[in-house]
Amino acid sequence: MTGLWRILLLLLVLWGGMPPANGSAQVDITVTRRAVQRIPVVVVGLQPLQLVSGGADLAARAESILKGDLEFSTIFEVLPPVFLPFDSKEIRLGEEKKVLPSLNQLKVQALVAAYLTKQGKDLVLEGRVYNVPRGAFVGGTRYFGDVKALRTMVHRLADEVVFRLTGERGVASTRIAYASVERGATELYLMDYDGHNSVLVTGNRSINLSPRFSPDGKLLAYTSYRDGNPDLYLLNLETGRRKKVSALPGLNISPAWSPDGRWLALSLSKDGGTNVYMMGLNGKKLRRLTNGLGISVAASFSPNGRQIVFTSDRGGSPQIYVIDVEGTNLRRLSFQGDYNASPHWSPRGDKIAFISDRGGGSFQIYLMNLDGSGIQQMTTVGSNEDPAWSPDGRHLVFSSNRSGTKDVYVMHADGSGLKRLTRSALNNFAPNWSP
Amino acid sequence: MAAKGRELKGKGVGSSMTRWRGPLWGSVFFLAGALLLAGCPKKPEVQTGGPGAMAGDKMTKGAPIREAPLRPGEKPSALKDVFFDFDKSVLRTDAKQTLENDLQWLTANSQVRIVLEGHCDERGTNEYNLALGERRAKTVRDYLVAGGVDSKRISTISYGEERPFVLGHDESAWQWNRRGHFVVVK
Repeated sequence: MTGLWRILLLLLVLWGGMPPANGSAQVDITVTRRAVQRIPVVVVGLQPLQLVSGGADLAARAESILKGDLEFSTIFEVLPPVFLPFDSKEIRLGEEKKVLPSLNQLKVQALVAAYLTKQGKDLVLEGRVYNVPRGAFVGGTRYFGDVKALRTMVHRLADEVVFRLTGERGVASTRIAYASVERGATELYLMDYDGHNSVLVTGNRSINLSPRFSPDGKLLAYTSYRDGNPDLYLLNLETGRRKKVSALPGLNISPAWSPDGRWLALSLSKDGGTNVYMMGLNGKKLRRLTNGLGISVAASFSPNGRQIVFTSDRGGSPQIYVIDVEGTNLRRLSFQGDYNASPHWSPRGDKIAFISDRGGGSFQIYLMNLDGSGIQQMTTVGSNEDPAWSPDGRHLVFSSNRSGTKDVYVMHADGSGLKRLTRSALNNFAPNWSP
Repeated sequence: MAAKGRELKGKGVGSSMTRWRGPLWGSVFFLAGALLLAGCPKKPEVQTGGPGAMAGDKMTKGAPIREAPLRPGEKPSALKDVFFDFDKSVLRTDAKQTLENDLQWLTANSQVRIVLEGHCDERGTNEYNLALGERRAKTVRDYLVAGGVDSKRISTISYGEERPFVLGHDESAWQWNRRGHFVVVK
């Protein structure tokens, strides 16, 4: 666990050293939901930096991470340096304005100038963002940290670029929780959204499942067999404190957070059948939402907190249903195929991701509208499960056995940009994306 | 239940023979039962079709290893596991025959307490399978209670698809993983 706390501490230190990314920042370019056009952006600066002679060029590493983040955002298209009428490495700190006219002629919308230098034991990453058509400086930030924090610093800068230019929160600094099968155990891990810096969070040598970040990212709800029964726990990711919140007879599984972070939906089998309940974070105020002797699991809240989508076999096979949080107005959403499950409501509110077996005995990921219409198939290769949205609704994380073992993958919400995040001899699954 | 310690990794491959009717092929398989946990063999025994496997059945080529983690304090018994069809928790005819024998043994050994574990194959979602395994365990429990076993002697737990008996990605493995597993604890 110590590795995790070191990283958390580092993040806190970094956070303190940063100017607040407040809501009053200038928003220059409006990005609409339907926009398929990416914003052309150019990255300059990042002159080579080696800590020891013959060592790795940290600036080149930073540039690769930054460009990867900006491209993955689906907001930007990073122009390759060969298209530029100048050498991108020749631009020095404070000289950025002189290239704006030539970039404007190329229809480039934004310029990101980044510089990596050494200051004592720290690395300093300075990022400056320009609106090219206006010829104006939009904002900038300086990040301090040691060499191990380089990835984190660059991810922060990438999110700063997204925020300065679109007003949206980027996902480059987010993390993904997942379950990993090890010899005789299933443990939970956290990793950066790009698959780096994986850290163990459970380590109890039992079965740990269904990690779910709270809306503020501070708590992780999950099911663990650490005391023999599948009970529900909350882990405080800042203090490391663990609390057992539901240990009723039978199953205490499948948690979901209400968007205000005050309630958990979970599935319990204490009354016969497995039904969805609502519960306060202290385990009190338990209220049953679904009825019957069937199975109701995998709850996911609508972004306004008024409805829950879930999997139930009440009709004879696993299908997707939606119900109001008062326990009324139950409706079935899926009608094709004998096995539809794992619904996850998009944070933008307009789509539900789910899995379905539509022949061949393998699951594929699909999207549907809130009334069950407009079904889009998102995967075709292997068997794919556990879809979960990124907090900005632009990406999906999921597990797939397409390479033999079950591993965690990400893709954009249009099915493009597939990237594998985990690699191991055993299974990695149940990913959940942090806010 | 004190299951916080490290898993005992015993291999549940004994020498008893269980008669089991394969639903998909309609043929009768013989398999080395997993339940005579006579001690803790140091090395896993690899099953190559089982001693009585019929020529041409699927067991002859798969040769999967079956394993079941031992619970602390687990005792050997003559109880036989029961197996289920995909996404089902109703008892098959062969399962009921197995349970009749299990009932006799439980009646003859009335001091024994058991844990019934519900398990699933890897298909379907992990969370749904936890609930399905729970239902399988309770189905077996209800059958035994209806047959006269005191319900206080039986506790149930579901492991869903998290503790497969046979590692593998086809029916030759899955058929063993959809099961109600008996563990004698006292």
